[in-house]
Amino acid sequence: MFDNEELLKETKSQALNSETVGNIHVDDPRIIAKNINVFYGDKPAINNASIDIGKNEVLAMIGPSGCGKSTFLRCLNRMNDTIDTCRVEGELFLDNENILDKKTDVVSLRAKVGMVFQKPNPFPKSIYDNVAYGPKIHGMAKNKIELDEIVFKSLDKAGLFEEVKDRLDAPGTSISGGQQQRLCIARTIAVSPEVILMDEPCSALDPIATAKIEELIYDLKKNFTIVIVTHAMQQAARVSQRTAYFHLGNLVEVGPTSKIFTTPQHKLTESYITGRFG
Amino acid sequence: MNNLKSRIAKEKRFKAYGIISITTALTLLTILFISIFSQGYTAFQETRIQLPVYFDQEILDPNKTNDWNKIKKANFNGLVKQSIRNLFPEVSGRSNKRKLYKIISSSAEYQIRNIVNNDLSIIGSKQNIWVLADDDVDMLIKGNINRNLPENERRIDDQELMWIEYLESENLIKKVFNKTLFTSGDSSESEQSGILVALLGSLYALLITLVLSFPIGIATAVYLEEFAPKDNKFVDFIEVNINNLAAVPSIIFGLLGLAIFLNFFEMPRSAPLVGGMVLSLMTLPRIIIPARAALKSVPPSIREGALGLGASNVQAVFNHVLPIATPGMLTGTIIGMAQALGESAPLLIIGMVAFIVDIPQGFTDPATTLPVQIFLWADTPERGFVERTAAVIMVLLIFLVLMNSLAIYLRKKFEKNIT
Repeated sequence: MFDNEELLKETKSQALNSETVGNIHVDDPRIIAKNINVFYGDKPAINNASIDIGKNEVLAMIGPSGCGKSTFLRCLNRMNDTIDTCRVEGELFLDNENILDKKTDVVSLRAKVGMVFQKPNPFPKSIYDNVAYGPKIHGMAKNKIELDEIVFKSLDKAGLFEEVKDRLDAPGTSISGGQQQRLCIARTIAVSPEVILMDEPCSALDPIATAKIEELIYDLKKNFTIVIVTHAMQQAARVSQRTAYFHLGNLVEVGPTSKIFTTPQHKLTESYITGRFG
Repeated sequence: MNNLKSRIAKEKRFKAYGIISITTALTLLTILFISIFSQGYTAFQETRIQLPVYFDQEILDPNKTNDWNKIKKANFNGLVKQSIRNLFPEVSGRSNKRKLYKIISSSAEYQIRNIVNNDLSIIGSKQNIWVLADDDVDMLIKGNINRNLPENERRIDDQELMWIEYLESENLIKKVFNKTLFTSGDSSESEQSGILVALLGSLYALLITLVLSFPIGIATAVYLEEFAPKDNKFVDFIEVNINNLAAVPSIIFGLLGLAIFLNFFEMPRSAPLVGGMVLSLMTLPRIIIPARAALKSVPPSIREGALGLGASNVQAVFNHVLPIATPGMLTGTIIGMAQALGESAPLLIIGMVAFIVDIPQGFTDPATTLPVQIFLWADTPERGFVERTAAVIMVLLIFLVLMNSLAIYLRKKFEKNIT
């Protein structure tokens, strides 16, 4: 992990005291996170993180393992609710509504903020049913024709329709890993969310499948706000407009991707970018 | 080199141990099956003797009333005796005649009575009727009594043997499929006894068990696994107790049933209803534990995927988790039911161990179950009951094999849908 003891000490002290470097604000925010603190039991996982996420932008979150980037992502659609010991403090506005409020309806929130997971997790049902499930439970289609339309459109947007149009009845688990991940994206798109969260969506895929997903992200950006957590820095550089760097639960630096990867302001960011720890 | 050699030898040795234990188990199982089948297969046949019956108007209906209510009080026993005498006219003397009558089962009288009841016009005619032979004759015909033994060592003496051999030479005696075994209840005469009471009792009790323990067990498992608060002392307490209940000897459940269902609620004794309730107490933990294991084995990613789409907790569980867990839950249930089918101890306590002749008409009529019937008949020394005991064991085994095959079939079928 670390090159030497000295750097370790240095980063620890810096991480504890640091304020976020760079510009956390955007002109046209869809999500505004203010002073987010997350704890697992008594153990803090995220320390006072504040960031805006703009409309139609791709925000990449990078950082070493265990830095809290996935935890932060899961705050955005309250998936952390499923973990009993997890506690989230702070304010998180989606379209001017505080989604951390106890009164927020998690079901409709998750319909607005979709999520794609690290490992492709299609339901053990047919390809068609995988995509149709979301629209069905949210009552988005009045009849079979409307449902067909939603399913076909979503598969098409995910770039999967041509590949699977002859076998929509085949189980979703029968297609390749990359196709499964695109199926999961199609499933998420089908409920027409505003934001799509992606938790290392390519970590289980080969380079060709990864390239396809990245192309897809590029296309999806026109209609959706995308927040992507990734381990691959090149991927962050390729797909995102802005990048946020997390370190030991702190949001260390936020800025335009090009700037982060060329002229990082914070020493920790620089160390991570140049591969001195990972 | 040496290391490799010893490693290979070790592996071979371990394989050999495995093969030896499997062979031992299979051999023992084969011996068990052979001993049961060789004793029991004869029970599926019964011996019948052809009796030339003259439906004498004088005996049955001397006043020519043609009224069944009068005829049914006639001396059918005498009619049967007369018919036997007709078959062997040379037999004389009271004790000889009494011995002669005994080669026919005492049920012959009722069989002939039924024939008359079905068709009154038969009165006055002569018919050849195949009536049931006595169990000793049955045993001799099936070879369970050795004819070559000296007379004082066998249950059939020389004179009876002569009569039977005469019947054999005239083709007046034959073995047919044993319908009696499947259509009658218990009897003190082995040739007239059957397992219908036990079969129905088992069926009724199992139905009650299924209806009670399946929904309650599955609901408990789903709640504890999916909805119950984690790290809650009360939930932990319940979990520990369910696991303990699975290890409680079944006879304790019988005592519980006796104290609560019979003595406190005053429910009927010997009834399949109470039997089923006791068996469901016993089966519940055996359903809950495998059902929870099946739910636990559903990958959390499926649940997260559903929640991430905006499904509610209930939707995620019922639309995605439960269908995947179904094969495991069904397998657990069927194996629990199979155990309940083979259970006898708790049923003894609540009085399902009784001599019951009448076929139960419902859940509250007294009945026995198959394992209890085995217990009852295994207790009787007569040779006729020995083969019948083995026959019930065979019937029970067939049911168990069927249920377990169903469990395997369902598991395979649902697994195919998932992967």
